[in-house]
Amino acid sequence: MKILILGAGAVGGYWGARLHQSGADVTFLLREKRAEKVRKDGLVVKSPKGDAVIPAKVVTKGSEGGPYDIVVLACKAYDLDSAMESIAPAVGTNTTIVPMLNGHAHFATLDKKFGPEKVAGGLARISGMLGPNGEILHSGASGVSFGERDGKPARASLVELEVACKKAGIDGGINANINQDLWDKWIMLATIAGMCSSMRGTVGDIMETEDGAAIVLETLDESCKVATAEGHAPSDKVLAGLKTMLTSKGSKAVASILGDIEKGGPAEGKQIVGDMLARARKAGIAAPNLRFAYTHLQTYEARRARGGLK
Amino acid sequence: MKILILGAGAIGGYVGGRLHQSGADVTFLVRDKRNEALKRDGLVIKSTKGDITQMVKTITKAGDGGPYDVVILTCKAYDLDSAIDAVAPAVGATTTVIPLLNGMRHIDLLAAKFGDAKVVGGLARVGVAMNDKGEILHTSPFAAISFGERDGKPARPALVELDAAIKKSGVDGGLNANIVQDLWDKWIMLCTLAATCCLMRGASGDILEADEGRAIVLETVDEGCKVAAAAGHDPGEKGITTIRSFLTVKGSKFAASMLHDLEKGAMVEADHIVGDMIARAKKAGIATPNLRMAYAHLQVYLARRAAGRA
Repeated sequence: MKILILGAGAVGGYWGARLHQSGADVTFLLREKRAEKVRKDGLVVKSPKGDAVIPAKVVTKGSEGGPYDIVVLACKAYDLDSAMESIAPAVGTNTTIVPMLNGHAHFATLDKKFGPEKVAGGLARISGMLGPNGEILHSGASGVSFGERDGKPARASLVELEVACKKAGIDGGINANINQDLWDKWIMLATIAGMCSSMRGTVGDIMETEDGAAIVLETLDESCKVATAEGHAPSDKVLAGLKTMLTSKGSKAVASILGDIEKGGPAEGKQIVGDMLARARKAGIAAPNLRFAYTHLQTYEARRARGGLK
Repeated sequence: MKILILGAGAIGGYVGGRLHQSGADVTFLVRDKRNEALKRDGLVIKSTKGDITQMVKTITKAGDGGPYDVVILTCKAYDLDSAIDAVAPAVGATTTVIPLLNGMRHIDLLAAKFGDAKVVGGLARVGVAMNDKGEILHTSPFAAISFGERDGKPARPALVELDAAIKKSGVDGGLNANIVQDLWDKWIMLCTLAATCCLMRGASGDILEADEGRAIVLETVDEGCKVAAAAGHDPGEKGITTIRSFLTVKGSKFAASMLHDLEKGAMVEADHIVGDMIARAKKAGIATPNLRMAYAHLQVYLARRAAGRA
């Protein structure tokens, strides 16, 4: 089975490196600059599970080295359009695309471009970031899960991918419940990203204020209502877990989008918060807190576009 | 007439400097360190209306040099308690206290301490800053203070005399028969600007770039107007129009000074400008969802600042 991974960031890079180490046939599709670096230095992984330098196979065009059985999309949501252009030549009749993006907006886009039958669901729980020299700094969780979005038994290539993951020491694997899990994660992310960015603090910082806990729970409720309207209400157990996690006193939990904002980089505001708000509107659900949060994120983009406050 | 000015910072230093220059009897109540610098270097004003360096009268204890006819307070709201303690010995039976602070809460606090009759209304509009050398930099075309009786009655002799001194000094403004309404109008404007610029972390024009930025700004104006109306100080059609048009200028790079303070990690007048508006709204049964969100943002900031993570 031939696997193509677009992007060698924390998620794609870590996952692909471990697959390669355990003997899977993995190729990375990278931009020219990143490709050069990886060709020269290898793919450098620093991880509590063991450091490694991987002599990874690299291509810069989706037309090279194919056809591929699996194409993993591990890009940021705001790069989806260019990512789709890049992978298009690598996607053949029998290719399965496994997107590892947050939110749900990418499915409509991918379905339209490649056909829904080619697009599986995917979810990453890999914590890490890129270091200053492009090295992958893996810090903890290392799970990915994937599955059929319609809940049917997994196709052969996903089963094979699961075997490869197990061999590579990657947790997770086939997930029969991927669509619901994606929604559950999105509800959590929309709340934590919306709140940590618009309040500019960690969950614990927000809990220090008079109305902080109430505001966070209201925001969670707005997202839950959207999920429910779309037929994906979280279970009571999931909801209780989210409530505890998002209102825990002294918590240092923070959305990665806040780090992106504080660095002045691009942020996935539109896909994580904006799309949830848009779906709320469509379903006639009042979402005042998501509205504040999305306005914050749009203000950030406007300010970023003009290069600062001055 | 003897005038005491608490502090020789940006506004107090500029107005007091111009009054002194034009022959008024002005004393500055300053801390030891500032006193030394003023005695050594004089009070330095660099201004669009002419530079001047002059020796001025200073004291470090309010008990010295009195009694004073007029005491002018130009401190930040969060320094009000210590300012009240500092000036208390200078306030005699016939002294008039003129606070040049934003918001309204300080008036209640001052009236409680010194008696209702001694405290009049005051408003500053001076685009001025102090650099790290203690020089006062007046870079804008405007420099005005206005003051008047809070009950709208004819001004007491001390204010009439101060009006004459102000006119002689070249500072604009003077007696204002409408001071309380003007204070409310300015507070509504400032509260909205501070709340929205801080919550969204952008200049006025950045917020207007967001889909619902304009709506959120106008709703926030409305929250302030309702509180003012409940206090008997509805800004009226003309007042509201002025505030609205000031806050909805497309492309405006104007941002609340509170946002600049936030981004420098400095102390902010959150409780005085935003918190007090919410407290008054609650008392009057007025909903202020936008101010609530902004105040939560400011409280997160203050919690982080207190923890050394601003």
